[in-house]
Amino acid sequence: MNQNITFLLNNSAVTAVLNPAAVTLDFLRSCKLTGAKEGCKEGDCGACTVICGTMENDKVIYRTVNSCLVPVMNIHGSHIVTIEGLNLNNSQLSPVQSAFLSEGAAQCGFCTPGFIVSLTAFFLSSGNLKNNNILDFIDGNVCRCTGHSSIIRAAVNIKKEIGNAPDEFEKRLLYLINKNIIPEYFLTVKEKLTELYVDPTDNNNSDMPDYYVGGGTDLFVQKPDEMLSSDLSFIFKRNTADNVFEDDGYCCLRSSSTVTDILESALLKNIFPGITDFSELFGSTPIRNNATVGGNINNASPIGDMTAFFLALDSDVILTSDKSERAVSLKDYFVSYKKTVRSRGEIIKFIRFKIPKKNFFINFEKVSKRTYLDIASVNTAIYIEYENERISKINISAGGVFETPKFLSLASEFLTGKKINAEVIKEAVRIADAEISPISDARGSESYKRLLLSRLIYTHFIKLFPELIDIKETV
Amino acid sequence: MKDYDIIQHITGKSLFIDDVNVPDGTLYAKVFYSKCAHGKILSLDLSEACSIKGVIKIFTYKDIPGINQIGGIVRDECLLAENEVHFIGMPVALIIAESKFIASEASKKIVIKYEELPVITDPREAFAKGQLSIPPRIFESGNVNNVWDKCDVIESGTCESGGQEHLYLETQGAVSYPLEGGSIKVISSTQGPSAVQKVVSEVLGISKNKVEVEVTRLGGGFGGKEDQASPWAALCALAAFLLNKPVKLILSRHDDMVMTGKRNPYSSDFKIGLNSEGMILAYEVTFFQNSGASADLSPAILDRSLFHCTNSYYIPNVKAIGYCCRTNLAPNTAFRGFGGPQGKFVIECAVYKAALKINIPPDIIQKKNLIKENDHFHYGQKAVNVMSGKSWDKAEMDFGLQKEIKKIRQFNSVNSLYKKGYAYMPICFGIAFTNTRMNQANALVNVYTDGSVGFSTAAVEMGQGVNAKIREVISRVFSISHDKIKNEPTNTTRSANTSPTAASSGADMNCNAVLTACNNILERLLNSAADDLGLINSEGLIIKDEKVFLNNKDTGLTWGIIVENANSKRISLCDYAHYATPDLFFDRVTNKGNPFRYHVYGTAFIEVTVDCLRGIYRIDSVKAVHDFGHSLNPVIDLGQAEGALMQGLGWMTIEEIIHDKKGRLLTDLLSTYKVPDLHFTPAEVIIKFLNEPNPVGIFNSKAIGEPPLMYGIGAYFAIMNAVREFNPDASPEFSAPFTPEKVLLKLYENTFAKDLHSPALSISDNKSN
Ligand SMILES: Cc1cc2nc3c(=O)[nH]c(=O)nc-3n(C[C@H](O)[C@H](O)[C@H](O)COP(=O)(O)OP(=O)(O)OC[C@H]3O[C@@H](n4cnc5c(N)ncnc54)[C@H](O)[C@@H]3O)c2cc1C
Ligand code: FES
Ligand code: FES
Repeated sequence: MNQNITFLLNNSAVTAVLNPAAVTLDFLRSCKLTGAKEGCKEGDCGACTVICGTMENDKVIYRTVNSCLVPVMNIHGSHIVTIEGLNLNNSQLSPVQSAFLSEGAAQCGFCTPGFIVSLTAFFLSSGNLKNNNILDFIDGNVCRCTGHSSIIRAAVNIKKEIGNAPDEFEKRLLYLINKNIIPEYFLTVKEKLTELYVDPTDNNNSDMPDYYVGGGTDLFVQKPDEMLSSDLSFIFKRNTADNVFEDDGYCCLRSSSTVTDILESALLKNIFPGITDFSELFGSTPIRNNATVGGNINNASPIGDMTAFFLALDSDVILTSDKSERAVSLKDYFVSYKKTVRSRGEIIKFIRFKIPKKNFFINFEKVSKRTYLDIASVNTAIYIEYENERISKINISAGGVFETPKFLSLASEFLTGKKINAEVIKEAVRIADAEISPISDARGSESYKRLLLSRLIYTHFIKLFPELIDIKETV
Repeated sequence: MKDYDIIQHITGKSLFIDDVNVPDGTLYAKVFYSKCAHGKILSLDLSEACSIKGVIKIFTYKDIPGINQIGGIVRDECLLAENEVHFIGMPVALIIAESKFIASEASKKIVIKYEELPVITDPREAFAKGQLSIPPRIFESGNVNNVWDKCDVIESGTCESGGQEHLYLETQGAVSYPLEGGSIKVISSTQGPSAVQKVVSEVLGISKNKVEVEVTRLGGGFGGKEDQASPWAALCALAAFLLNKPVKLILSRHDDMVMTGKRNPYSSDFKIGLNSEGMILAYEVTFFQNSGASADLSPAILDRSLFHCTNSYYIPNVKAIGYCCRTNLAPNTAFRGFGGPQGKFVIECAVYKAALKINIPPDIIQKKNLIKENDHFHYGQKAVNVMSGKSWDKAEMDFGLQKEIKKIRQFNSVNSLYKKGYAYMPICFGIAFTNTRMNQANALVNVYTDGSVGFSTAAVEMGQGVNAKIREVISRVFSISHDKIKNEPTNTTRSANTSPTAASSGADMNCNAVLTACNNILERLLNSAADDLGLINSEGLIIKDEKVFLNNKDTGLTWGIIVENANSKRISLCDYAHYATPDLFFDRVTNKGNPFRYHVYGTAFIEVTVDCLRGIYRIDSVKAVHDFGHSLNPVIDLGQAEGALMQGLGWMTIEEIIHDKKGRLLTDLLSTYKVPDLHFTPAEVIIKFLNEPNPVGIFNSKAIGEPPLMYGIGAYFAIMNAVREFNPDASPEFSAPFTPEKVLLKLYENTFAKDLHSPALSISDNKSN
């Protein structure tokens, strides 16, 4: 079972014989690198955050990850940066650390290394720093002591102080080293990563695994112990540039496409400019960096956000095995609670949907107890083609209201060909309500979920067609 | 100012309990707990679990050499279940294995059978069935029954406030190893080292001097580690003692959430009477406190609800009754505010409801009734140095609140999808342990011959900056720089018989003990310096910035020299001092006295926006004027205020503890229990310092830990106001937290949602789906 895992840990190359399903946090802490903490082991607190650097197109791309959920196999060949690897040699403080000191942004200190790591990752992020929101980088870090106010002040201050960093990667590194944001060894990382290059296909993957492992953000929350003794096939490929592509009128997403890839995809942004707002309701930055579309769909949770979104786009799932390849409509993919049509040995290769042409509208709504970094109580997506003041085509999906992600076929059918007005929507809401069977759980009572879905369907229309329907007509 | 602790934190070097170096051969412990909320244990089969390779031993109550009893106030709590279980999460057995993983695998192989008994989760049901942990508590002043007739407006009602998970980011844990001669050392993540020492000594059946408890720092406590760190320390020590091996026990987040208690939920009845001018004449309140399966600290928490049941208001006739109701939930416990928030929420509900009836904004009633200088609290203490009116007026003025309110009205008149609401929230909180005996502390200050200083107190550092404040005191007295001063870990061999670091009083008491010790040393040092200078006494001698001055003239002596000289003359450079908070007394029969050293006041203004389509909301801003006294460290105090505020906002809004009817906690993970995150933080949080001196505080300062939490209560009413802007027919119901679910149901009450939300939940295991 155990395997050689090689990666760059801060400034030194490490090779260890490990169970590939051991999580990175446990490994780091067993090496006495205790700066990364275990606060929850389920991706919800950020105390374990580390930076993961991977070579992509001759550049090292740095992203934060929740080390508590990342199997060591998924960091094979990467650069892992912990708080220990950010401390400067001469016991000088970095500007990020100094900002925390002057704002008193660390109280008990348990969350602090995670915050420092995440904020430093902001400076390593691609693109123009001026346009990136530094606070987004700490959206996966929870602090119970400070109430975040002092942390926000510290973050805003350092961005102001350091904001003018060049975009180009090598220049950026030099600039950051000069400003003491990162230690000097970062300059040598690219070379070292190239040296310890590991063949991505060399992963002992089994053909008939118990589980395919994507980003692991579901598997390692739900069954970390079982992973250690399961037959696994690791399929996660961090390759932003080509994960989302256009092919013959279709938009295709490889199963490894992460939410971050979706956020960064020009193609998707073009089709659906609102996709950024929607994607930010998904998990947190480090979760988005690892959560894949394949995992979201195959996890088959009734409240999968990407699943709901792609359902409304009437997507297909492309399944492959040794022998064959087949396309299954996402609408038909789910059989019952957490059961899908996929058979053992079949892998989701990619999903695709027809790129819509004109007169179309897309919206996504998600309500959870806490607006960000929370699982939906109810989510819903809608796709409408609207011509000559009538709905010519419509797909509405809903999550959290049925044992599987739900395509609201009856409500969609009813609305096809209709004009948009309060009466019509009211009837559609009534039909949708008859299509669902939510259960009461920690995310809300049945009656709440019913009311919520009805309000969110109204919300779609009020948001997309404000001149046709007014909130006062809906109560 | 460079603070030692914070530098450790930001460089990731601070060692928490799970980070401390453990000796080779350390064993790992895992607690096996009851999955049944109330029942008789019919059988417990450990054989399969014991046979797993790497399992060293599984302990049950039968292995306890001392007594199986850890109850603090009431002796009603076993360390390990004997024949009955009383809540889901009650420890039954302790698995010791070579690794955490093996211990966890073994716990899945333990077979236990129960005979299920009826489960109570609701305090009113417990009350009806006579399940009280202590006799009822009644606080009374004036006579409410004589004045109802004279009231122009009387309102009554009920209100609920939910539990709250501490969510200290570091879970509970301990490391223990045997010392020679049958002694034992426990490193614990506890707010109360002496409490741990007591429990360990009783469980092991050895004297306290054989139990050494040490605490370096906590990754958050918030009251959750005041009493409830003890069981884990005791279990860990039990294994280390019996196996003669080092043992480590760290709870997983899930186990911590299931096994440990939370803020006590309350269900309450109120009745309030006012005259036509809006003056409150009478207030009657009954608290049904959900104590969980054993008393733990609930009786003391209940007392504080009774003390604070009138919040910042002077009410001439008060009757407050408290019932400590035993249920089948994990024993609820201290949580920042300690019953104060629960008490205050009820009076605010009463005021809100009365205001609706009179048809005036609640703030008119709030302001009119603020307690004034020389008024008496209903427990007999005279109010002095009252800052309620001052903080209210300053908030009005400095923040231009009337203008803000106009803007809110303007917003609401033009927006239909979003509505804004606001509320004022005044607070008043008494400082001291209400159990007078606990108001004592001691300190050891060592000046070393090189002029560096070390100190030991019982103050446990958990992020509240108590050590930085103590350093500030030492630095002021000796006039030396902070970096010469180091704190030692809190350790029972140096600080004995101490109170937990709690009740916001850790800094006050420990700083005072340190102050006495420093003054004693300083006196000896100055006398010795006078001797060096050939003076008859030390009059006119002071130390300033490490130099010794005589009547403002530099004597050439320095801190370093006088320390070295004193030692060479065999004068002690060390001191141990004790502090007992003066002027405290309380008669627990009449429930009258002077329980508090002083009170902390303040006023907050909270503004929210509700999204009327989706039922979600944002807290836009919190502006407060807070009575810090003369802050010893403004950065720390502001941080405490902001952090406490956010916990209060969370308690009132999204932090929802849900149990099913069988007593199972449904919100047992961070994926289902949501605390405020970065996005939740209001865009605007402004906390102004009132900056009035506190004559009885150390260097005129005031305690800070708990009071600002209670500003959060205002969020409930701000949201209610916004909801009622959209749906004036929404009935004012008081059931905190005001979750998005409750908000949506209220927004559409009497429109769409016919049946109101009932907490009866049926659920399949929904672990993060
Ligand atoms: C803190 C946190 C927040 C979250 N927030 C959200 C949220 O807001 N919205 C949301 O929808 N989800 C959320 N999730 C859930 C999770 O992140 C997503 O479902 C994610 O998309 C799963 O992707 P993954 O690659 O990490 O899945 P994995 O855990 O790797 O896999 C999940 C399942 O899919 C299977 N699988 C993966 N890839 C394939 C493939 N190519 N072919 C066949 N089977 C495959 C696996 O075997 C497994 O059964 C959250 C999770 C965490 C921990
Ligand atoms: S430990 Fe909480 S996110 Fe990893
Ligand atoms: S400082 Fe304690 S959790 Fe952030």
